[in-house]
Amino acid sequence: MPQRPGGELATRPLHFIWLTDCSGSMSIEGKIQALNTAIHEAIPHMKNIADENPNADILVRAVKFSSGAQWHISQATPVDDFTWTDLEADGLTDMGKALTMVAEQLKIPPMTDRALPPVLVLISDGQPTDNFGEGLSALMDLPWGKKAVRVAIAIGEDADHEVLQKFIGHSELKPLQANNAEQLVNHIRWVSTAVLKSASSPASQADDGNSPGLNVPIPSLPDDDSISSGDVW
Amino acid sequence: MVAKMKWHVISDSVRGASHIRNGLPNQDAVIRHPDPDSGLPIIMAVSDGHGSRKSFRSDRGSKFAVETALETIKEFVRCQPGDNFTGVKRIAEEQIPKEIVKRWKQRVRADIRGCKDLECVDNPFIAYGATLLTVLVTESFIICFQLGDGDILTVWENDEVERPVPKDDRLFANETTSLCTKEAWRDFRFRFQMIADSPPKLILLATDGYANSFRDDESFMRVGSDIWHIIESEGPDFIRKNLGNWLNEATQAGSGDDITVGLICRQNTDNLREYKHFRIPLWIACPV
Repeated sequence: MPQRPGGELATRPLHFIWLTDCSGSMSIEGKIQALNTAIHEAIPHMKNIADENPNADILVRAVKFSSGAQWHISQATPVDDFTWTDLEADGLTDMGKALTMVAEQLKIPPMTDRALPPVLVLISDGQPTDNFGEGLSALMDLPWGKKAVRVAIAIGEDADHEVLQKFIGHSELKPLQANNAEQLVNHIRWVSTAVLKSASSPASQADDGNSPGLNVPIPSLPDDDSISSGDVW
Repeated sequence: MVAKMKWHVISDSVRGASHIRNGLPNQDAVIRHPDPDSGLPIIMAVSDGHGSRKSFRSDRGSKFAVETALETIKEFVRCQPGDNFTGVKRIAEEQIPKEIVKRWKQRVRADIRGCKDLECVDNPFIAYGATLLTVLVTESFIICFQLGDGDILTVWENDEVERPVPKDDRLFANETTSLCTKEAWRDFRFRFQMIADSPPKLILLATDGYANSFRDDESFMRVGSDIWHIIESEGPDFIRKNLGNWLNEATQAGSGDDITVGLICRQNTDNLREYKHFRIPLWIACPV
């Protein structure tokens, strides 16, 4: 009996990339420890989302930036195999370089045009010290850069919201403000669950050229009252 | 001139694996004419309702899409101006997309009458958003129309598989052109092919859930030639019997999306024989 027609079947890859600020200021008041804890805590939730949707092949990576930028986890790792190695903080905030490195990975190839929209999560507590605009242009010049789900988390009062908003690129979605460790955990969990779930099964959207809205619907963030006067960054 | 041939039309549609998990209906639709097989002209249309939150009636939108396409093209075939193929091509390219969009919108307007939520919004058509792929095969020519994502493949005598309609670079990620957008008729892609010696052996129409279920485009393109070889060795009824199972396997191990496939295939009657498993009743098309 003939086999079914066609070549190899495969689920659709969904690339999830953390872009994490490891500048010296992240070492103040336990921010980098809080970030490490939050990502550790998020991993089981990401695995649950992956289990719920076996048609999406969720692959996780991380790039860190301080004085320069480098891949912290360079291989696109299936979420079931993903583990987090703690980051350390030191140096400047070369965010532009991190965006350029991510852009290199969103080209086709190595990306495929049958992928699900990638999710990029930018986390920072400060202002870029390199050419942010150049990195953002490199990203947004790519089809997958434009269509990626871009979420930003601002840590503490000194984070540059204007820059993070430019990264997001949609006025209807604002940077998430984390003023303490608990808020950071909540935001990272939300990105790792609600946003990831939405990106893993996006319905088709009509493109009429007149509505440059989000191509993946972003669920609303749950109310957050986890702030107290004693633990503000 | 076309040699003596027998034509077969086959289609199937399966609910996506992720739609089953999430309690969503199959939002694709397919229609074929004639049904059952009775020769040329043949019309096949498939449509994929968008299924997003905004397009919450897209299962109805896709049904309206294939029905209006069939109705419009049947009228076109009845009225076509003889052997003036330049005129046929021009009318098909310029008028049919406008007519299909107009009639689809009429169907949608009729459907929302009395629905206050939709009567008040700026563009109620978004709720019904859907793509449309349509193929007409006559004795003398083939016409393909495509609006939005999905695939039309043709398989030729030498097993070459091609996409007859031009690529649309706007169809990227999960965004698509659609019947619901303003001036949607402008976004139709079109191909008119005269049948000089022999038509393609097989024409396949598929919603995008099928191609997205394969590791790469090469793996998907193989579907065309593989189906043809199965028809040659096992007969078209074998395809009819198994197509749904193959599509279910594809959505489960692949995209999770609804998958709909329409097939138009021809066999030279000289080559017809009894298949291993089935005795095929013969209908012989004898074009003038």
